[in-house]
Amino acid sequence: MTGKIRALVCAGALVAGLAGCSSSDGGDSGGKVTLTYAYWDNENQGPAMTKIAQEFTKSHPNIEVKLQFTPNKEYWTKLQTAAAGGTAPDVFWMNGPRIGLYASQGALLPLSDKIAADKMDLGKYPKSLVDLYTLDGKQYGIPKDFDTIGLWYNKALFDAAKVKYPDASWTWDDVRAAAKKLTDPAKGVHGIGAMAWSQEAYYNTIFQAGGYVISDDKKKSGFDDPATIEGLKFWKDLLDQKLSPTVQQMTDNDPIEMFKSGKLAMWYDGSYDASQYFKTEGLKAGVAPLPAGPKGKATVIHGLANVVYAKTKHPQEAWEFVKFLGSEQANRIQAESGAVIPAYEGLQESWVKSMPGLDLQAFIDQLPDARPYPVSKNTAAWARLETDAITKAFTDGQDVEATAKQLATAMNAALSQEK
Amino acid sequence: MRNGGRLWPVHLVLAIGAAAMVMPFFWQVLTSLKTFTEATRTPPVWIPSFEWGNFAKVLDETPFLQQLGNTVVMTTGRTLAQLLFCSLAAYAFARLRFPGRDVIFVALLSVLMVPGQLFLIPQYQIVQSLGWLNTLPGLIAPGMFSAFGTFMMRQFFMTLPAEVEEAARLDGANPLRIFWSVMLPLARPGLLALGVLTVLWSWNDLMWPLIVNTDPESMPLSAGLSALQGEHMTDYPVLMAGSLMASAPIIVLFIIMQKQLIQGIAFTGSK
Repeated sequence: MTGKIRALVCAGALVAGLAGCSSSDGGDSGGKVTLTYAYWDNENQGPAMTKIAQEFTKSHPNIEVKLQFTPNKEYWTKLQTAAAGGTAPDVFWMNGPRIGLYASQGALLPLSDKIAADKMDLGKYPKSLVDLYTLDGKQYGIPKDFDTIGLWYNKALFDAAKVKYPDASWTWDDVRAAAKKLTDPAKGVHGIGAMAWSQEAYYNTIFQAGGYVISDDKKKSGFDDPATIEGLKFWKDLLDQKLSPTVQQMTDNDPIEMFKSGKLAMWYDGSYDASQYFKTEGLKAGVAPLPAGPKGKATVIHGLANVVYAKTKHPQEAWEFVKFLGSEQANRIQAESGAVIPAYEGLQESWVKSMPGLDLQAFIDQLPDARPYPVSKNTAAWARLETDAITKAFTDGQDVEATAKQLATAMNAALSQEK
Repeated sequence: MRNGGRLWPVHLVLAIGAAAMVMPFFWQVLTSLKTFTEATRTPPVWIPSFEWGNFAKVLDETPFLQQLGNTVVMTTGRTLAQLLFCSLAAYAFARLRFPGRDVIFVALLSVLMVPGQLFLIPQYQIVQSLGWLNTLPGLIAPGMFSAFGTFMMRQFFMTLPAEVEEAARLDGANPLRIFWSVMLPLARPGLLALGVLTVLWSWNDLMWPLIVNTDPESMPLSAGLSALQGEHMTDYPVLMAGSLMASAPIIVLFIIMQKQLIQGIAFTGSK
């Protein structure tokens, strides 16, 4: 798979070379440089991106930034195609699962030298995010925003069942006890939604149980580790006791909609869904830090980064822009839009305040316990195996332990093909 | 009256079927007139508060008219080109005798067996080498010919009586003349069906325009409207208002051409 893509990228470079100067965009007329900046969320983040681009041109009058929007579903196809043709955008959004693939294929410009030369302080961003975009000791991305997972709960359902709201002192036992009290089959209400989602659900409990998804050297799967299996069993037990709708039901009906319409009392979900819960009329939602497991507290942290295309015609200008995107000023613009938690230290407050009544501070307070989203060079190769296996494991009558061990074998095989 | 009495079960089934077909469209119209909270509330709200502003918002947030123009140009260009090229090739495959004809035809058919995504990168690179990224020709070019259209038209030409052609040949017409003056007029229903299919496919085509064009001003409606979709949240009423406006011209076209359409589709047995 990786080899094939690399061949395509190389072939693309060849064609681009033959085509010569036929691509006419990004021209330098009159010393002015135009950069393209690609991103995938226009509806929520478009206004902030536009404003950041305008502010940048104010302080760098010779550089203009052209925004290029592609919806998330097609974003990666388009990027891959354009990179094969040698015409990817100069600067673009990158995520954790894909950084390994793009960086190892040489599609991204390493930024370490420029960071050192300009004395940029990466300590201003959460460390796990900086690490996520470091490969073989080289920094490829500057963190843009981040998200953590929290325990969302429906206040009305808690009040009706006379259960105390979750708080930072909660453990797995509290979740189990509360789920029992809150489940009401007559009303079609379940105590919790135990969905086979990785980032929102089982990655967190795997870490809380002391397990791991992938070893630090990215060579070994953690799914055959007893602690990892314990983290999976947390969800399986809730499903077996009918305290959650079945995975089948939650595949047919989006559990996010179930939570919004008061069919789920508790629901593990990311900070990125805060704005839709905030806007749902008739939903009184609260959010608490994730309850602690046998080995303490943990939440998955993931965030996007801004990266520079390796074959950009304007590496220096592109770097200037990425530096600006990582600045306090640009992060403040993001924070005020309320769409995402900005990565820059100390600016999270304005995001928390943008949705009063939701106690969003819980997402920020968990930062010390945050664990990076597990990735390797070719995350996609095993992530699909994982989704299939865990969905199967969470289905009625399946044995979690056996399925997880099979997954570990398959995942190890996929990892051994990475170089 | 006697007939009506016997037919009522049939009518009932048909009415239920019709309602089921119209329902999603009806729901789209309703949603386009709701506020965001009405659109996302459970249980669903039936009566909207007639938020006509959603339509204005689409015009504000996207260059709608420009994109409508692009869609019309792209669809017209692709459709006319396909009608011409596919029927020319189809006629050759159906009626002209030349060495290797059937081998070439099978090779052409094999194109149908390959998923379109496979052509994405080569097509992108060709368009890029031509300097057509971000232009209307770049949108139109790869859709000017199709293996399916050629296959369909060939099957059509095969059914036409050979006598007509022979008569024309005796009168001294060359193959091109026979094609243009004799066969093509006879192939009207087939051309119509192919035209309809191409218009529909082209109007809705999303992937290619998104990949080859990057400026909102050079995108067709299908790609342009996707800008209204968020990663974690979407303003459904505005998106529905946009989609409604985007599909309106096609619906009007269908109503006008209903009779020819049904003939053409009934003839080819495809939809």
